[in-house]
Amino acid sequence: MPLRDVALGPYYLLKAMATTFKHNVRPVVTIEYPERQKPVPPRARGRHILHRYADGLEKCVGCELCAIACPVGCIVVEAAENTPELRVSPGERYAKRYEINLLRCIYCGLCEEACPYDAITMGPRYDLADDHPDKFIAVKEDLLEPLPASLADTAVPSAAPSAQKIPRKW
Amino acid sequence: MAVVTDQVTLTVDGQSVTVAKGTLILDAAKKLGIEIPIFCSHPKMEPVAVCRMCLVEVEKMPKLQPACAVYVMDGMVVRTRTEQVQRYQNGVLEFLLANHPLDCPICDKGGECPLQDQTYTYGPGASRYDFPKKHFDKAVPLSDKILLDRERCVLCWRCTRFSAEISGERELALIQRGKDTIIGTFNDQPARSEYQGNWTEICPVGALTSRQYRFISRPWDLDRTATICPGCSMGCNVHADARHNRLGRFQARENLAVDDGWLCDFGRYSFPSFQREGIERPRVRRDGRLEEVSYEEAMAAAAQSLRRAGPATAGWASPAATNEELFLFQRLLREVLATPHLDHGRGRGEAATALEPDDAALPIADLERCDHVLLLGGQAVIDAAPVLHLRLFKSERKGVRVHRVDDARAALEAVPAEAQAVGIVSSLGRKPEVDSLQGKLARKVKGSVRRLLVPDGPNGRGATDLGFGPGRGPGYASLDGKAGRARPDWEAAGVRALYLFEASPLHDFQASGEEREWIQRLETVVLQRPRPSPLDDLAHVILPGRAFVEKAGTVTNMEGRVQRIRPAIDAAVVRDDWKILQGVAQALGADWRYRDPDEVFADLSRAVPAYRADRIGERALWSERA
Repeated sequence: MPLRDVALGPYYLLKAMATTFKHNVRPVVTIEYPERQKPVPPRARGRHILHRYADGLEKCVGCELCAIACPVGCIVVEAAENTPELRVSPGERYAKRYEINLLRCIYCGLCEEACPYDAITMGPRYDLADDHPDKFIAVKEDLLEPLPASLADTAVPSAAPSAQKIPRKW
Repeated sequence: MAVVTDQVTLTVDGQSVTVAKGTLILDAAKKLGIEIPIFCSHPKMEPVAVCRMCLVEVEKMPKLQPACAVYVMDGMVVRTRTEQVQRYQNGVLEFLLANHPLDCPICDKGGECPLQDQTYTYGPGASRYDFPKKHFDKAVPLSDKILLDRERCVLCWRCTRFSAEISGERELALIQRGKDTIIGTFNDQPARSEYQGNWTEICPVGALTSRQYRFISRPWDLDRTATICPGCSMGCNVHADARHNRLGRFQARENLAVDDGWLCDFGRYSFPSFQREGIERPRVRRDGRLEEVSYEEAMAAAAQSLRRAGPATAGWASPAATNEELFLFQRLLREVLATPHLDHGRGRGEAATALEPDDAALPIADLERCDHVLLLGGQAVIDAAPVLHLRLFKSERKGVRVHRVDDARAALEAVPAEAQAVGIVSSLGRKPEVDSLQGKLARKVKGSVRRLLVPDGPNGRGATDLGFGPGRGPGYASLDGKAGRARPDWEAAGVRALYLFEASPLHDFQASGEEREWIQRLETVVLQRPRPSPLDDLAHVILPGRAFVEKAGTVTNMEGRVQRIRPAIDAAVVRDDWKILQGVAQALGADWRYRDPDEVFADLSRAVPAYRADRIGERALWSERA
């Protein structure tokens, strides 16, 4: 070991510590991921959302255009007719069953593009992990936007028969 | 010197085509593969040219001409895609869509809608119509089967013309004039026609839709199966459309020789009764209680009980069973159990099994070529095979005299001696009357006299042809004095065991009170049926089989046409009926080794040469038998 290095030892030591302390006062670039999440860009394509009108009625009419536009065939829709007793959407028809297989979905957003009523959009959520494939079948209740706060107590629009009652095909 | 022929040659879009005189430009173009868009035109109806969609340019004619209403002339020069034509097509569609609600996402027609398709092909991309659209009530019930949406209607008149020209009932009509014209029934009374389902099929928009099919599915989701309607002995060809293994609708599958492209409402809307709910397993009665067992156990139990009864067994098969099943069942009873007691009738004492090949001597399509048709029994015959009415009405419009009579003497008087071709149409129950009437008529008139009897069930004809009756063997072979007894006489004949084979909820074993009591006293009742039946309480062995829409095979319609049926619903959990019959026979010691229904058919055609595998879809060849 040359004598010169021995003499400069403390200098190197201080230089390294300076680097460390400099990073201590710099702004943090990482986040505590599961607890805190970064906002996603506005056009990000995460898990789908089924929207409602301001009065709480569902926008989806069950036309199945998303299902036919879907390149992987991960959407199943079954329609039914609105009745005066059970009004789910404004028109004659609503989606009785709406299911998306989130494992099969490739998040391409063609369903959103096909929808004539802007009922389905790709949402911001991307943290989709679970412990069983069955839990990735998103049914209508999972996808629907929550009722507006002003309507949260009125049970009328959410009285749709649960899609969960229909036996699943897969 | 020019040769005078019935052919004319014209040019369409630069291509020359020769067609018969009296052909429409539309059909001449179709022959060349040139598509002219249409809404109002229908090949089975008179041209009206109201929708103006088919306008084409014809040289030397000052204005555009409707291709669906102008007949071809020699040397005509037609152009279908000129700039002017395209401008007009654009304009017509823009007008049609001016008041159309464009609610395709909720419309049941969406996806198979001519208006939708043609707007994409020929129409403008956008509308310039900014004014409020005309509004009517949505989904007005026209009857318990049909909904009418007047907003979607483009007033093509197809439904009203069907009502006037095809069914002759004149129920639907155009009401009001000009821009206020609407479709409706008189005084908004509910429609009562038996052929309303056809309106929904010919409607080129979603104005007339079926209530049963409402929002069930999108057309592209349907699994389509070409099969036969289970409704009656007419044997109309249908598409059975299913979604998620549930039947959604029947649609006509045109067969000009049988149904002419139409269905009746009884057949069309019969499909919900075939819907299977849940899975069923075979059951055997032990100590008075029905216990679930495997098919093998149940078939062994059935065989054991039937062996005890032997020749004192009687077998009843539904006239909706396929030819293959009837043939096997017939062999099981006659060869394995050595019993002569076979029947497929409803047990009303009619000569249900007395049909002869001659009873189908008059093909359905030949009704149009007769000059006198006697409908002996009137409406009762039509009720047994409703689509027959459409064929008779069509014949009448062609000039055939159709006499709806209820009594043979009046029938005899109605036909003049110079008649060339006389047809008698009646139901099976009136066979003796028809036979004597035909004899008298044959002596009276110069021409031929043929008859067509309407048997029960979609395969009543086949059941008789295959000898599923007490009197005759397969192919009307004589039984050499070993004839059995028909269903009403089974009690008197000392029958101790009963094997019932049901195949369709529309044609099942309907037991009268007395008959039920008798069945209750029987030693053994084996019940093979597609769905829970009122006879379950009386059965000792229940073998779940498949219904008409769940199996493959052939059925024979009233005119002797052998047609294929195919499974529209997958019922894999339930065993095929022919396999059950084979299983029971094997348990009784028979050495049967059929692997599929086609092998059964091969055996069947050896016993009944009139049925030939290469002629499925055609009428059985009874005349070659002699």
